[in-house]
Order: sequence, then structure tokens, then C-alpha cells
Amino acid sequence: MKRWIITGMLAVLAGSGSYGPTAAVAQTGTASPERAFLNQYCVTCHNARARTGGLALDSLDPAHPGENAETWEKAVRKLRAGMMPPSGAPRPDRSVTDGFTAKLEAELDRWADAHPNPGSTALHRLNRNEYARVIRDLLSLDVDVSKLLPADDSAEGFDNVADVLRISPSLMDRYVSAAAQISRLAVGDASIGAATATYRSASGDGAGEIPLGTFGGLVVHHNFPLDGKYSFKVRGGGGVPYDNRVSKVEVTVNGEPVKVVEVGYYVTADFQLDMTAGPQTLGFALIDKDPQPIATTWKVPPNSVGPTTVAIAGPLSSTGPGDTPSRRRIFICKPQSASEELPCAKKILSTLARRAYRAPATDDDLEILLGFYQRGRNASGFDTGIQSGIERMLVSPRFVFRFEEEPAGLAAGAIFRVDDLELASRLSFFLWSSIPDDELLNLAVQGKLKDPAILEQQTLRMLNDPRSDALVKNFAGQWLYLREVKTAPAPVNGELRRAFERETEMLFQSILRENRNVLDLLNADYTFVNERLARHYGIPNIYGDHFRRVAIKDEARRGLLGQGSFLLVTSVADRTSPVARGKWILENLLGTAAPVPPPNVPALEESAGKNEPRSVRQQMEFHRRNAVCASCHKIMDPIGLSLENFDLVGKWRDADQGVVIDASGELVDGTKLNGVASLRKALLSRSDVFVTTMTEKLMTYGIGRSVHYYDQPTIRSIVRNAVQNDYRFSSIILGIVKSGPFQMRVKGSGGA
Amino acid sequence: MFITKKHLSRRTVLRGLGASLSLPFLDSMMPAQTALSKTAANPKSRLMCIYVPHGAIMGKWTPAAEGKGFEFSEILKPLEPFRDYLNVVSDLAHPMAGGENSDAGADHQRSAAVFLSGVHPEKGVEAHVGRTFDQAYADRMGQDTPLPSLELSIEDVSLSCGAGLACAYMNTISWKTASTPLPMENNPQVVFERLFGDGRNDAERAARRTQASSILDSLQGEIASLKKQLPASDRTRLAEYLDDVREIERRIQKAATAAPAGLTVPDAPVGIPDSFSDHLKLMFDLQVLAYKAEITRVSTLMLARETSTVVYPESGIRSGFHSTSHHSDVAENMDKFAQINRYHISQLAYLLKKLQSTPDGDGNLLDHSLVLYGSGISDGNKHNHDPLPVLLAGGASGQILGGRHLRYSKHTQMSNLLLSMLDKLGVPMDKFGDSTGKLEI
Repeated sequence: MKRWIITGMLAVLAGSGSYGPTAAVAQTGTASPERAFLNQYCVTCHNARARTGGLALDSLDPAHPGENAETWEKAVRKLRAGMMPPSGAPRPDRSVTDGFTAKLEAELDRWADAHPNPGSTALHRLNRNEYARVIRDLLSLDVDVSKLLPADDSAEGFDNVADVLRISPSLMDRYVSAAAQISRLAVGDASIGAATATYRSASGDGAGEIPLGTFGGLVVHHNFPLDGKYSFKVRGGGGVPYDNRVSKVEVTVNGEPVKVVEVGYYVTADFQLDMTAGPQTLGFALIDKDPQPIATTWKVPPNSVGPTTVAIAGPLSSTGPGDTPSRRRIFICKPQSASEELPCAKKILSTLARRAYRAPATDDDLEILLGFYQRGRNASGFDTGIQSGIERMLVSPRFVFRFEEEPAGLAAGAIFRVDDLELASRLSFFLWSSIPDDELLNLAVQGKLKDPAILEQQTLRMLNDPRSDALVKNFAGQWLYLREVKTAPAPVNGELRRAFERETEMLFQSILRENRNVLDLLNADYTFVNERLARHYGIPNIYGDHFRRVAIKDEARRGLLGQGSFLLVTSVADRTSPVARGKWILENLLGTAAPVPPPNVPALEESAGKNEPRSVRQQMEFHRRNAVCASCHKIMDPIGLSLENFDLVGKWRDADQGVVIDASGELVDGTKLNGVASLRKALLSRSDVFVTTMTEKLMTYGIGRSVHYYDQPTIRSIVRNAVQNDYRFSSIILGIVKSGPFQMRVKGSGGA
Repeated sequence: MFITKKHLSRRTVLRGLGASLSLPFLDSMMPAQTALSKTAANPKSRLMCIYVPHGAIMGKWTPAAEGKGFEFSEILKPLEPFRDYLNVVSDLAHPMAGGENSDAGADHQRSAAVFLSGVHPEKGVEAHVGRTFDQAYADRMGQDTPLPSLELSIEDVSLSCGAGLACAYMNTISWKTASTPLPMENNPQVVFERLFGDGRNDAERAARRTQASSILDSLQGEIASLKKQLPASDRTRLAEYLDDVREIERRIQKAATAAPAGLTVPDAPVGIPDSFSDHLKLMFDLQVLAYKAEITRVSTLMLARETSTVVYPESGIRSGFHSTSHHSDVAENMDKFAQINRYHISQLAYLLKKLQSTPDGDGNLLDHSLVLYGSGISDGNKHNHDPLPVLLAGGASGQILGGRHLRYSKHTQMSNLLLSMLDKLGVPMDKFGDSTGKLEI
């Protein structure tokens, strides 16, 4: 593979000869406007003696910030977010601050152009979510990977940060047994043992589907590994114990009725069915006429004893592997005679290995895989041989890791472009959390992917592919805490939790699919609801379980700030938490880490009993009487308090514990707040900060490493380009894909 | 994937409805009189370390009197039946869990990682602590069992770590090396498969073991021949991967030669039980089973992660664990938190009973175990780390007397206790973590 070695990545724009001595400037009488700004507003606290926040700006030269870029980038961040100077201190006009910040940024960017540093990502291991998607794309097999592999650690809010994707013996152990189980499931090995899967409806982890045209029930998608007999146990009860009633339930397989059974809280329908191998859709529909009024969105009407739990076990006995999507994907040839077997095995395994290893399989690769094929073949025939080869493939370091080579003969610290195959993997794991498809891989093999036009075309193609739902599930799911909705402590039933999660996912997805302005995440005049969610929000005339797009009439519900997902995950078990809401917004929308509380936080001087404050706001104000607490809480609390009209599960309220909600307050930059609309307006007035934060998060996720100060010029340039494209989603993605950090590496010291 | 015993007659159809999962499900498969430790004097004790976040109401945890015959405190009361096996250890501290000036306030983030290491968890994305107490023991006394150690949790990992520290600090209390956190597993079904493997009969299990062995064998060859120009740091990781491959190969060989013991493997549990106590009991059962079958001698368990917002309805307290721990020194709130502390202790009583009723060698498993239970935080409201709630249970094969409330001088490093326990467990060391000396225990 040909490599592009770039030593001076970009043209040097600034002559370094123009840099003067740094420390001296502060002392000269002719202070620049920047120096004057610092002297007037900053150095009272941020000087070499006080070092407030660990920052001393008195000895640094603002005209040449590049030499202390790490420090200056901190200052830029605080200024852009409007966090400095702090409230109470003299504060210049916003235009003055913005002007000063822009000048700093321009200098920092100029410096970075002359001293490019794309950084380097550590060795990537497939994480659990990626593993599941890779298996699906490689073998057309959906597996519940949470039972196969341990959960991954995360860093910077994402579980694909390479630094923390370590290996341990127990993980290795799981890889080995996962490879065995998956390969057997994929080929339909006759030795597959019985396994049980339990599906629940209504609250908790039930499937979000209800059989159409029925009174309730549940729909289950289950993969049957072999043709054969399976056991079913269906129980009813709707969660209400001591109910002796029994209901009739119709069982359907892919829409065809196969059986009518009776279920109840004390009556479990226990029966067996012959099933064909592969993914099947089963319906368990309540067909009794229930005399009680029925809420149509409950999976099981509250007053009924419809089916609530389905356990499927098997195979109890099998008649063969059947014809499954996995077998069709794997067995691209079928040997008709003994002499055809080896060539066919070679064809199958080299095709799979090319996809699995994201590169053409070498002779060495094939030799290993065919060795395992031969062992299995000799033991139990051709299919077992293929199974054995796949099993071996799935534990290869070539599969588990994403290696990126360093070109020989480069000095440590030199910058180089990753090769086309490596770039293809970077792109597919960014957009799909999975392996490249054949089109992408072919372009990489031909060395064409580095061509900017082709790269752009492929990026847009992949964004439009259904597989980019990985960005919704894995990027938005982590950035916006959607993965936490299921387990957030506040009391909400499972159906509403799923609706919260789905709503925000669909909003993010609409921005991705329709290539909308990313500010719609804060400000969209539409959202997605089903009946249950619409009722929660007070939106009338929405019936049924499916989600649909609706225009928002109630200003309060526009965008993320009015959505149940965000409001729920930032609440505690029994009340809202304005601190958590404020902190969440600071960190995830404004990119400013809230300070951690000091050690040994003194206890609040709270008086017990009747004098206790009642509303959450009153409790917060009590808290802020402590000066140590107040210094930070006055930053976070007003943000959260402006959302107090939303209760802990995101329902609108006008009073809290009988006290009328007061959603007023003041941001640290002096902006007056009163309610969610004013907060949204304040965030939108710093839309560049929001887009920068989102870009930073996407960048962290896209390259799988922490974003550092030296990445900030790249991020600013992506945001600058995006603003000219109305902040369209694709403009940010393309900006990242075309950036140095995404395409380049720095050669490590001590490398071979 | 490890099968240690022959005669495994595992019924094909696994458990039915998840809701019907009754406990303790493993009882049926333990032949009551089968002592698995064959020699009367088995020197290798089982070691279990249990972590509870958020500290405790120390005033209601610490018994008033010292020494023998102390009166059980309100929180520890459920353990009274096990007095003779119990040592309450007071006035220990973990100074390494505190923040320095530069990064103060990360107490929740650090406490779990310090608990068994006594090393200050460093800032940054990449974790760095120290080999933990359980692993120091496993490295010496766990190498002849199929699994050197077992790491379990009740809660799944979460995204909220914060304060610029690696999430691993909050996700596990067990570290194989300073930079290798051992992931904790919270799904009992997965734990079960790790202990007993899959396969429908002896022949299949043997065949799968052979296949796994050849795969691991050939992996070593493949790694050696990977002629890639990799960055030095990547090559280090690859070397670690190779170590892990060898370790798993060793375990498989161990599993293949492990002694048979007339053990009938029960049905596998299905998924994760809904209730905390059902879940925890199942995890306790699995550990006891693994001890009994000598699949492992070392385990760690986290009852919850630091800052966990879980609610324990069975404790009678309806507010979240973490928010209840911030009791603001209000008496009523402190009572509530103490009630959660006591609830946790009542779960521990289940484990001790289980160990005690399981015959082992010349006694029972509790005689031959050492259980360490405690928190890296003292007062959940203050996030301080001195004095810590800590207790020991079990005879450690005759090495530790019970029935005492041990009080050391104030601010004694908990690492001193860990170091002294290693002595008792037959793994003497000169220093452990931030230890400053050994304690009389």
C-alpha cells in the first residue's frame, strides 16, 4: 500500500521570525489592546501569585499565544462560553470580549497551521457494541452481545476511546467462547445446546410492539438457531398478583395463527412448536373481549390478564440447520464432490476474512484458517470445517484489533497519512460502528479512497445508509445519555422510558437523515410522539403505539430541553436536580466542565423538622448560603432552576410542593432567565459554542481519543466551515473526516 | 468455558419464566455431604472482598465496646449469629482516596479503586492504580485453580465517571496490575457459563476444550508472525494480549485436569433477576459454588457503584442510595441511611450462613474463608475516608480468631490491614500500597 508521507502538513503561513520575546511585553509601557484587556479583566485573579484556577495570565503574551497554546485554549473556552469574567466582577461588553477572543483564536490557529499536530490514537479494540454490529454485517446474525462479552469501560463519555479498551484474561476468555458460540449459531451446528430467552411486555424491558388489531399482547422477534422443536411458556397477569382470571391468547408465527392458549397470573401456557431456523416474528395477542375500558397504548390493558412474559427455550430436538440468512451469507458455494471441498472452503473463508480483517486476506491468514477448516472437516464434515475456520477468525488479533502501521524510515514525531485501508476502517467505524462494506473496501484496495472527492462521496453515501443509525445509537445514545434513560432512578414505567429514548433518537435521526441544521436539536419546531408520550406532554388527538412526527405548538417542548429523556436522566429518585441539569448542560452542550466539589464538603447547616425548606428551589438557595458551595453553584443552579417547570419525569408543573414555580435567575454572563424558553434562547445566542461542543464530542467519538488543546484549531475550522453550510449535519461530519486528526498520525517515539 | 467436573448432567431445557426464578437455586445441586477439599488441613483459604459505596453512618456502625463480647451496633445487628466468625475493624483510613489540591473532590471517583490497592488513582484517561489485595493473593494462591479469580458486580457499568478520571476506577475494585482493571460481570448467566462452560455432555465439552486449546495455541503463532510496523505502545498492548492468550490456555489445561467430585451442575440462571436481593443472592450462591468446586478461591464483588442512584424498596427506604447518603447531618436522614446500611449487612448475613452451612474439609466453608466487607468512604455526606467501615468474617483456615471489635490507633492506613491479612493468608509481603507497618489481627 502506497503511503503519503507529509512532513510539513500545511503551508507555513506565519513567519516564525516575527515572534518577539514573550514575557517582556507585559512590562513595556506600550501595552497592546489585548494586554490591556487582560490587565483590566483577568490578571486580578489569574496572576502568578494567586493562580486562581491554576491559571496565570500576567506573564504570558497574548500577541503570541501559540507558545502557550494549552493555557490560552483554556481561556478561549471560558470566554466563548461566557463563563468569564465571573459574575460580580467587572465585565466588558460581549462584543469586546468576542473581539479579544477572536484575535486570540486567530493567532492560535495561525500557530497551529505552522506547527500541525494531528495526534495519535492508541490501538483500537472492537468494543461490545461494535462487535455486535460487525457480527451482524459479517455473518447476518443478530446476537445478544451483552451475554457474550463484558461491558467496556468508557472515557470522555464514550465507550470507543481506544485508551481504555484494554484486554484482560477474562475478556480473552469471553472472546474465545463468544467465537465458538457465534460460529456455531451462524452455520447452524447440530451441537447447539438449548438456550432460553425471556421477553417481557408492559413495564421494564418489553418489546415496543403490540399485535395490530388486538386488545394487547406482545410481539417478539426471536432467532431460532436450528430447524426443530422449541418450548414456549407464556404467562399473563399484567403484573397484578392474586388475579384468578384467565385470558385467551392467539399465537402467531410471522402473522399466521398457529394456536390459541389460555394464560393468567396463575396459569402458564406451556406448549411446544416446530420452528424453522432463522429470525421469526411471533405474536401473542389478547383476543378476549375485555369489559373494562382499554387504554390503547398499554401493551397489556391494566385490568386484564393478557400475556406479559414469554420464555422460549430450545432447540429441544432438531431436524437440521435449515436455510437461514447466516447460512446464505456464508455458504457462497456448495461442494458437490470431495474434490470441490477445499477450493470452496478457500473461497468462503477468504471472502469472510477480507471483510472481517478489513483487508485482503494474506496467504498466511488463509493457511491458519484452512488449518482449522481441515480439523473440523475431518471431525464432522464440511459445515463443521467452515464453522471451525470462522471460530478461529473471530479471535484473530487481525479481527479484534484495528492495527495502524507506521511507515518505516520516518523519524519520531513525523506526521504521516494512514493508508487507504486504515482510512476505510476509520470511516466505517465512525459512521457505522462496523466494518467497511465491499464498495468502500474495494476503493481502499484500489488506493482511491484518499481522493478527497471520493472520500466525500463515500462519506455521504454511508450517512444515507441505514447502518448510520449507529451514530444515533452509539454517538447520540452516549452524548445525550439516552443509554441511561432505561435505568434513571426517577419513577417512570418502562413504556414511557422507551418513548423518551425513542423521541430523542428520532429527533437526532431526523437531523442526520434530512441533513438539517444541528441547532434543530435545541430548537426544532417538531418532535416525535406516540399516544403514551403525547398524553404525558399534553398533546391531544394522538392515538396508537407508533411514533409520528408532530408540529410543536407548546414553545416549552421545543428541542432537547423540553424532552423527557434529558429531563429524566438529570433527576434523582424523588425530585428534580437543578444542579444535575445545570451541570449536564454545561458539560454536554456548552463544553465547560463544571468544577468538582471541594474535598470534605461541609455539611449543610440544615435545621431538622418543620423549618425545612420545601421546594427544590428553596433547598438550593439554602445550599448556596455556604460561600464555598455558592462559588460554583451560582453557575450551575440558575440553568437548572430555569427548567423547574418540568418535574422529575418531564411533566409540566406550575407548583412544586405547593410553592409556585419560580423559574427565574441569571446566567453567569448576566443574561436574565425565566423559564425554559429563555434558557433555549440564551443557548442559541451562543450557537457557536453549542456547535463547537457537538463537534468536539463527534471528534472524540470519531477518532476514539480525547480531544486536546492542539485539536482546537481543527475544531474551530470545522465549525467555521459548517456555519457557511447552515450548520448542516453532513458539513460537520465531512469536516471531521477531512481533518488532520482523522487522516493523519504522528509517529511515536520508540517506534520501529 | 471451564468445566472442572465430570458427571455433569445438565438438563437440556433451562429455566422457564424468569419471574419464577427462586432462590437459592443452587442448593439442589450441592450434594450436602460432599466435601470437595480433600485434605483435612487445606492451607489455601478462600478470599472474598465485598465493596459497598457511600460509606456508612459510623455512629450506628461502630460497636461501643472494644475487644471480645462487644454489643452489636444497630447496623451490624443482623450479623450477631456469626459473632464467633466476625471481627469489626475500626479506625482505618484510606488517605490515598483523597484528592490533591489540583484535582480535589473526586472522592467518589477514587474510593473504590483505592479500597483494595492503597494507591492514589492517577488523573487522566488511562487508568493507573496498583495491583489489588485480592490479586496479590490470587497471583500466589489462585494459579492452580481453573479461574485465578472471579470479579462480580450488581450494577452494569455507567457513563458517569467524571472529574477527568478513568471510568475503570468506578467500575471495578480489582486490578491485576496498576494499569489492568479486571472487568466485573453482573449477569449471573454469564458467570455461570464462565464456571461451567457450555456443551451438552462430556464428549462435547472435551471437544470444545481441545478446539479452544488449538485456537489459543495458533494465536500465539499468529501474533509472533504479525510482521507489522506498529507503534511501540501498540506492540506493548499486543504483548499483553499474548500474555492473556497464554493465561487462558493455562486455565483450560487446568480445567481439563481438575479432579472429579460428584457434582451435579444445576440449571443455568436466566438473565438478571429484577430484585436486588435476588440478584445478590444468586451472585453469592455462584461464588460459594465456585469455592466449593475449587473453580476459584478468590472473588470480588461490588454491591453498587459509587454515586449509584439505585433504590432499595426492600430496605423500606424509597429514596436513592447516593442522595440518601447525603444526609446533611439531619438525624432523620441519618436514620434512613443507616437503614440502607443495615439492609446491606442483612444481605451479607445470607452469604455467611451459606458459607457456614457448606461443608468443606474438616469444617465448613466459613471456617476456610476470609470475607472482607467495607467501603472506601466513611461519611457519605462528607466524602471523607477516615474512619472507614470495615469488617472481616471467616476463620481463614484457623488463622484469624473471631468475636472481636478491633480498634487501632486513629488514622491507621487500611493498607496496614491488607498487608497483615496477606501474612495470615500465607502471602507475606514487606509493603502494600501506602502501608506503614503491620497490625496485630
